Formats: sequence, structure tokens, C-alpha cells
Amino acid sequence: MTAIALDGLVKDYDGTRALDGVDLEVAPGEVFGFIGPNGAGKTTTMRILVDLLRPTAGTARVLGEEPRAGGPALRARLGYLPGELVLDERATARELLAHVATVRGRGAERIAPLAERFDLDLDRRIGELSKGNKQKVGLVQAVMHRPELALLDEPTSGLDPLLQREFLALVREERDAGTTVFLSSHVLSELEDVADRVALIREGRIAVVDDVAGLRAAAGQRLDVEFEGAVSAGAMDGLDEVRIDGARASGVWRGAPTPLLARLAGLPVRHVTLRDRNLEEIVLDAYRGDA
Amino acid sequence: MSAALREARWQIRRARRGLVGWAVALAAVAGVYIPFYPAIGGDQLQGMVDALPPELSQALGYDRIGSAAGFVTSTVYGLLGMALLLVLAVGTGARTVAGEEESGLLELSVAAPVRRTALVDGRALALVLRTAMLVLVLFAASAALVRVSDMDVAVGGLAAGSLQLWLFTTAVGLVALAVGAATGRRVVGVAVGAGLAVGGYVADAIAGLVPDAAWLADVSPYAWFLGGDPLVAGVDPGGVLRLVALGAVAWLTGRTLIGRRDLGV
Repeated sequence: MTAIALDGLVKDYDGTRALDGVDLEVAPGEVFGFIGPNGAGKTTTMRILVDLLRPTAGTARVLGEEPRAGGPALRARLGYLPGELVLDERATARELLAHVATVRGRGAERIAPLAERFDLDLDRRIGELSKGNKQKVGLVQAVMHRPELALLDEPTSGLDPLLQREFLALVREERDAGTTVFLSSHVLSELEDVADRVALIREGRIAVVDDVAGLRAAAGQRLDVEFEGAVSAGAMDGLDEVRIDGARASGVWRGAPTPLLARLAGLPVRHVTLRDRNLEEIVLDAYRGDA
Repeated sequence: MSAALREARWQIRRARRGLVGWAVALAAVAGVYIPFYPAIGGDQLQGMVDALPPELSQALGYDRIGSAAGFVTSTVYGLLGMALLLVLAVGTGARTVAGEEESGLLELSVAAPVRRTALVDGRALALVLRTAMLVLVLFAASAALVRVSDMDVAVGGLAAGSLQLWLFTTAVGLVALAVGAATGRRVVGVAVGAGLAVGGYVADAIAGLVPDAAWLADVSPYAWFLGGDPLVAGVDPGGVLRLVALGAVAWLTGRTLIGRRDLGV
């Protein structure tokens, strides 16, 4: 059974097509990153998975069931963090989380440890909390009952870098405890370390699905080189996106680096760097449609 | 405990501070009118009303102001107390589903393992209980003041008026809730709820003035509430039945329609 299976998913509303035939499979036990710019369809997809929205066409299956048919029994197996989190300002974090635990019938025992871990004051009214602290309340309610599948829409928004790291550590622990995690972001660097696989969505369609290593391999490495004199002819053969500026040259090399290194060894090189391209660059490729 | 009861308890708990304020306001309404009846009431007040054009006094509901029970009806139960309760019921009804959907607050509740129907049921029940508590406060304050002022108003009549006031304001609030649940728009819920209350009031006034339009009283929720003059004549079974039916139809409509649409878009 797949954790999430989307097949030709289409969603129209207000005369616009938010999802335009999304196909996607998320395996049980993986951390799956869902990356795209704002408006690409990430939140729409999440909302279909928890049955806030109904598909216009195509099917969505969550833990083997369609969200609407699965109803409360299916949602009991999910955790959900909305992309635009709004919480009852009048309640304290403790009251709200206790209520959520009552509704779900489990998870109450994890409220205090999780709050301590994220340094969250449970006894202040939510209206008095900062955006980051509200986000912590949202995270705690999404994972405290150890769901089979956690759907986290932009989970790290509003968290400072230290808390982002703590949160990603939590995601790994939940995964190790058996939770499948489907999380979205428009900031790629934060998913790079935690996601087993990544899908890139733009304009309602999936552009690329791959694991992080595969994306890296496809992305290649960026070469920056400075020669003793003018760049000799053929020095940059076989590289993409080549730029030459006097004695300096740069480009993208795909494949094993040995032939490139051998070639450079025979040339008068003053300075050289060869580094992995980061996910931001890969995604830029995908957005341009050449990945 | 069922999901709907749990939801109702949570809604009432969330609103507990506001509820105290409303209770004070309603007790105050009884307090600013009823004690003055012995000083200005009876023949003196009747004389003032007699000086008004009869159509005006009838439309305002002042034609019965000369008796003690009529005075309490015209000022507290049929006017300011009713208006306050309508504001609460319509405001709460429209906000509890549509308003929270618009603000995004409903998103987590709907994603929880609870049916949408149970969310509507629980919120409707919370509305019914809140208006009940507030009407009880108004009843208790009125009964005490009437007794202290030694006025000729039967407790049974006050109880009948309170019951019908509760059913009237709650039914209108449930209409606002249902329209909000069906459309997802708070302002539409408020408009329809308020329109129903005001329209019913106007229809009842016209029915009293124009013999050919007497049928308007049959379709006016305000007339179902006060047409039988419950503070004097006791419970009006026909009115009670219609008010209960209105509330029930609204509730059933809301819980059905919310299941059929996208939420929060």
C-alpha cells in the first residue's frame, strides 16, 4: 500500500486550474519533500488529502483510501499542519492541545515533552504567542499522536534556524518511529538534509520526482576555473552553461569527474573549484523546463 | 462522549468569558425597565400611548403597554432583550461555521477525525445552550424584579414568554448558522438571519394594520414568538411548534449542505 497515490489529480476553483493532472506516489516510511513556489499547488494538494477540497478530476488515495470515503477513520491516522495556520487566540496552548488529544483519543502524554523540547510555554494564551511559537503549537498537534502519515504544509515557516534544525531532527525521529512524512516547502535547502525523495511542482504539474542523490547526479557539478592565460580552445568542451570571461571560465559538468580532471591537469590552471550544485539551482532548471 | 457533544462543550468553553458579559447585559435590560413600571405604569403610560396614532403604537407593540405583563413584553421581551439575544444568536450562528471558515480557524477542526456534520451539530447545540443560559438569566432577573415591584405578572407567563423568546432567537440564529454552513460566507449568514428577524417584525406589524394582509402573521417568526401574547396567555403551542420546526429545518439544512462543498476557498 502506498502512503499517498495521486493519479491525474485536477482541481479547478474560481475559474483557475490549481492542479493540472498531478501523478505522485509516496511510499510508506519515507520523508517526501514537496517543493514549489507559492501558488504552484502545494497547499491545494494537501487540502485534498485531508478532504477539505474535493478533486475536480482524477483520484487521490491516502493510506489506501479516498479522503472523502475514508472520513474520520482515515483522518484519525493522519496528522496535518495547515500552510496558513490559524489557532483559537482565546485558548491557551495547553487547552487547545488537550482538546485536540481528546478529539483524537490519544497523544496527550506527548504534549509536555514536545513542548519542552521546543521551548513552548503551554500556559500562555495563543493570542499572546509569536508567529514562531504558534507554529510550534501547530507542529505539536500534527505529530503528537504519532500518525501513520504526517502532512506538513510549510512546517518550518516562522521558525528560526535553530528551531528548524530541531524540527528536522524531530521529523527524522518520527520517520524512524514509522511515520510517513509528506512536507512542503519553497525553501529547498531545508529539505535537502531530511527528504528521502523530492517532487518539484510548478503550475499544478509535477516537474520532477527523484531522490536527493539522483537530483544531484542529474544536476552535475559546477566548475569554476582560472587559467594562467586566455582560455585555450576545447578546455570547456563537454560542459553545459559555459561562460568565459578572459582567463576565467565556468560551466556545469555532468557525469564522473575523471576525464575533466585529466584534461585540466594538462592545462595551465591557476585556481579551480568543482562543487555540487545545490537544490535551488536544480529547481531553477526545472522551472525553466530543462531538467 | 459523542463527537458533537465534545464539540459543543469546547465551543461553550471557548466562549465562557463573553457569555458572562451577555448575561450581565440581559439582566441590566430587565433592571432598567421593570422597576420603573410602578412609578410610570398603568393608566399614566396608557394615556401616553393613547395619544399616539393607533397604527404607530400597534406597530411598535406599545398597544399592550398599559398592563404590567404588556409592559414587560413591550420593553424587555419584545424589544431590547429580544434585540440583544438576536444580535448574539445571529452573530454566533454566522461566525461559528462560516466566520471560522473564512478566518481559517475551521481548517484544523475539519482535518481532525470528526465528521463535518458533527462539527455543525456541536456548534448548533452550543448555540442552543448559550441562548438557553442567557434566556434563563433574563427570566430569573425579570421574575425577581416583578416580584420586588409587586407587579401583576404571573411567573408562568414569564416562563412561557422566556421559552418562546429562546425558541425564536435560537431558530433565527440557526438560520444564520445554516446559511453560513451552506455558503461559507459569514456576511450572508448575518444578512439572512437579520433579514428574517426584521422581516418577521415588519410582516407582523403590517398584518396587524391591514386586514387583507393578516396572513403575514402566519409566516412571521416574530409573530410565532409574540403573537399569542405568551406573558399574558401562556404558551402558544402553534407558535412553539413553528419555531421548533424552523430551527430544526435550518439545522438539518446546514449539516447536509456543508458536506457537499469545498471548505476554505
